[in-house]
Amino acid sequence: MLKKSLAIGFFMAIFMAARASAVEVPIVGNVAAKCVIVPDTAGVYGNPSPDELSTDTADGGVAPIVRYDVLQANFFKAVISYPTAFSVSPALSDVVNWTGSVATSKVSVSGMSAYDTNKVEYNNTSEFNLTIAGTTWFKTNSTAEYGYGKAFPSGTYRAVVTAECIAL
Amino acid sequence: MKYLLLFLVLALGGKQVWAHEFTPAYPTLEQSYMDGVLQTKMLLFNLRKDVTYYELDVFDKDWNKVPFAATDKIVEVKYLERKYIDVFVREKDKGRALYICSKSKLLSDNSNITMVATRICSKIK
Repeated sequence: MLKKSLAIGFFMAIFMAARASAVEVPIVGNVAAKCVIVPDTAGVYGNPSPDELSTDTADGGVAPIVRYDVLQANFFKAVISYPTAFSVSPALSDVVNWTGSVATSKVSVSGMSAYDTNKVEYNNTSEFNLTIAGTTWFKTNSTAEYGYGKAFPSGTYRAVVTAECIAL
Repeated sequence: MKYLLLFLVLALGGKQVWAHEFTPAYPTLEQSYMDGVLQTKMLLFNLRKDVTYYELDVFDKDWNKVPFAATDKIVEVKYLERKYIDVFVREKDKGRALYICSKSKLLSDNSNITMVATRICSKIK
């Protein structure tokens, strides 16, 4: 009987000690107005004709896609610019003419489709007021034409799309 | 079952998310330990595997540069690293300084992809 009581007491003591050593680990999180820019898809230039490089799918290219995650509505604007120069290219002796466009390619809330009609465009830049909380994907198309029907010299061409998120 | 698990791993875990985060969106300038100098603390979170350096800048409402000080104006933030950055602005520029921005610095290499430079600007309250 005494042995049994001692054994029970021993296990109770171990159990209590284990409970006493348990520590609470807090997890703290804050939700605040925040804009996150996610480069979703890297772009690739297709070369449909000797004098043209284009991100258009029909030209064998891939248009870069940038994702914007906005936690609160009406706090940010997205400012996206298509390139007007190559960051890496062989030596070019003639002018490169750039054209391009920026538009939404996917939206997480249907109301975001109005972003395209309300966007403000100037030079190579498009501005979108992010009036709805959620995620928007923007696709940037760009085309570079070399001189007047001149063939681009062979080599690697690279350009940079600028995606900005500015607090309003 | 194992094919379903494999599909889920590939579908959900296979895609990498690369992002740039700069908070708070509306920082406030407070008195620093130096007279005539205000400071605020920004948090830069680098989720872009292709970027290790970010450039800081302070602008006025017309996007003219405003003088500021920070430990480094080009900050090294490794992938998945969070870095708190103290930004110091002169008290006399308090009414002028409006945006604090961080911009990704891209490395030049020979890949033929179009890169995306990201810039996030917080507005000083």
